[in-house]
Amino acid sequence: MMTDETLFAWLDGELDAEQAARVAAEVAADPALSKRVAEHRSMHARLKHAFDGLLDAPVPERFSGAVSTPEVVDFAAAKRSREGRAGASLPRWAALAATLAVGILVGTMVPRGSNAPVELQDGKVYAAAALDDALNRQLASAPGGDVRIGLTFRDQRGAICRSFTQTAASGLACRDSGRWQVRGLFATPEGQAGTYRMAAGPDPNLAALIDSTMVGGPLTADQEKSAQAGAWH
Amino acid sequence: MERSLTFEHDLAAMLPRLRRFAHALSRNPADADDLTQATIERALRSKAQWQAGTRLDSWLFRIMRNLWIDTVRSRSRKEKFESLAEELEKLGEDPRGAIEASLELQRVMAAMERLPDEQREVVALILIEGFGYRETAEMLDLPIGTVSSRLVRGRTALLELVGM
Repeated sequence: MMTDETLFAWLDGELDAEQAARVAAEVAADPALSKRVAEHRSMHARLKHAFDGLLDAPVPERFSGAVSTPEVVDFAAAKRSREGRAGASLPRWAALAATLAVGILVGTMVPRGSNAPVELQDGKVYAAAALDDALNRQLASAPGGDVRIGLTFRDQRGAICRSFTQTAASGLACRDSGRWQVRGLFATPEGQAGTYRMAAGPDPNLAALIDSTMVGGPLTADQEKSAQAGAWH
Repeated sequence: MERSLTFEHDLAAMLPRLRRFAHALSRNPADADDLTQATIERALRSKAQWQAGTRLDSWLFRIMRNLWIDTVRSRSRKEKFESLAEELEKLGEDPRGAIEASLELQRVMAAMERLPDEQREVVALILIEGFGYRETAEMLDLPIGTVSSRLVRGRTALLELVGM
């Protein structure tokens, strides 16, 4: 008589071929045992199916490290609404993956005291310290420092937005109540740090975000200067 | 720096599986998401201890399982004194988590909840997460025979509880 341990080990594919064949023969020859095996298979399938539903469920925002960034969700929603449009669209999972990467990255960046490049206020993420400084002062036409400004443009509401690149991340910030609100932040993929990544152009997720935010074209060097002179209004 | 970014990307990719394991261990969806959050925070703080090239999933599951054991233990100590307070607290609890979880998930979670902790973790790792007996034994620091006999008991009880 075979033990329950052996029976289940067979069900779980833990036996070698010879032992497995023996158990299979015994099960096939015994209707009561066959019925039990069928019940267990069905219970396992039911259990698996119920829990596997979580793999497709949207991951709650709170896992972005206690950071809630409605704007990031807006981005994903915007991407979805644009998916019908030809070209330019990334698959939905790419937007989702980008959202997760943003959250985790922000989560690790926020607690590091006054030098953190972002800070939270009323559940929104704003540029701080060196990033805020660069967004205010730096012109795309005259780069310098650790933060590189990419494009400057206006969004649907007419607010000025600027894309930026740091060593570890690139992102997009737009004016909101007199500050730079970070709309997206993307970790630099492995193997694309430093100069190679600049040569490789913007992160595709950032490119998609810029594409969905920009109205009209990027500002020219002169327009950028006058926007800066007008305190980025 | 590249290594740490890879770590965060991989951790983000693991979130759905971490949530699944948390739901298999926890008594309700709200606790499961608290456990997931605690695990992410612990993993981010301890990432220096993770050795690149080793399996991130086993490492994360181990962290989650240890955090879960800690909560279960501190809760059972507390419950002796605070069970009434906790019941009252539950009345005011945000029901969203429960609504989000499907009815079927609630049923199987309720069945899992009735297993003793040591059977539940083995069932969760092998039947839900798909780990082998040996991997499970290593994660839990148990002899493989113990894993196998707990699995027999847990699974037999589940069949009764889920009622096929």
